[in-house]
Amino acid sequence: MKTPPDENDIVRWLDGEMDAAEKAAFEAELAADPALKTEMESLGTLGALLRKNVAADPPVPHADFFNSQIQVRIAQEEMDRRRQPAGRAAAGGGLLDWLRRPWFVAAATAAITALAIVLWQDRGAPAAGTSIVLSNYTPNPEVRARAFHSDEANATVLMLDGLSEMPAEHKITGHRVFRSETDQEVATTTLFSSDGHVLLVLAKDALDHPRLLDHTP
Amino acid sequence: MFLRRPHLRRVAALLAACWMCAAAHGQEAKKFEVAPEIRKPATEGKVWGALLYGSSSASGASVAKDELPKALQDLPARLGKVFHFTHFELLGQHTQDVFREYESWVVPSKDLFLKVDSKGRAKDGGMNLHLQFWREQQVLVKSDAILRADSPLFIGGPKWRHGQLIFVLMLTKDED
Repeated sequence: MKTPPDENDIVRWLDGEMDAAEKAAFEAELAADPALKTEMESLGTLGALLRKNVAADPPVPHADFFNSQIQVRIAQEEMDRRRQPAGRAAAGGGLLDWLRRPWFVAAATAAITALAIVLWQDRGAPAAGTSIVLSNYTPNPEVRARAFHSDEANATVLMLDGLSEMPAEHKITGHRVFRSETDQEVATTTLFSSDGHVLLVLAKDALDHPRLLDHTP
Repeated sequence: MFLRRPHLRRVAALLAACWMCAAAHGQEAKKFEVAPEIRKPATEGKVWGALLYGSSSASGASVAKDELPKALQDLPARLGKVFHFTHFELLGQHTQDVFREYESWVVPSKDLFLKVDSKGRAKDGGMNLHLQFWREQQVLVKSDAILRADSPLFIGGPKWRHGQLIFVLMLTKDED
């Protein structure tokens, strides 16, 4: 009785990860068993379909935040590494020994950050009664959001830099939405014109992303 | 004949399960329906949202004052201070209730629109909001903001043709 090939070997063969010798031996085994060969070809077809339809590298959620945290950690470790020889050379004391102490860097950083925040708030503080943007997050790392208050325009501004342009040939269709009706149970919002016609219906897909159905004739 | 061996069936089942998940996911994304009965959730206030096109060529219609809230009658001039265009066209507008415990959508256009979640009243007036600015299926920015009456928020959107798309959001008073 023939021993069936190991699952690991099957997957490696399907993914093309075998070296020449292994591949030759495996394919010789297949050649000796036509039924097995047919089944492996079926698996190969299935694998090709999957590769075509399912992304091999799904996007990492909040990748930019994750990367920034790694970079901060690397910078901290680099700083610690550089500080160690200097600390040993200065062992024995000196007037400025405290400057080299680990807590000094943290304390100085905190003090500078606090000072910067106070100065920034004084500089950019909008007048009372104006709208304020408290925080921003742009999922696309190429897009930068900056918020400020324009005294001249008497408005709060959220500027998005780095957005890709809308194609010039794309027609932007605007609506005059007079009222809306929202149904929480099926998570839909229906938008109406002033004469009661349905303009748009907004629903959610499985990813909780909005889908807009245009009713404009 | 197809996959008689149990271990091959296991491999195939695993591959198929992944594939079916992906396919089902695609199917789900296309489903939506409208409910016959509509119940209005509790509201926190109202916002006015508009999509404008700013450019330096007066090819489109100018903003008619009767389309603007009372507190924003000078909107084109105020936009001009920030975006440095000479001409602004109102593409769409939408006055929307902000629901207390449920998301609200401000959709002056299906190309660019805003999701608004109330986080309660601010201490000194205004409203704490979580905003998501969407471009079709893509969220461009998520922001936390305090919006106060008569103090508009201008969002500088993507460039388009010879100018730029600008979203304006303002908490309105009852008389607006």
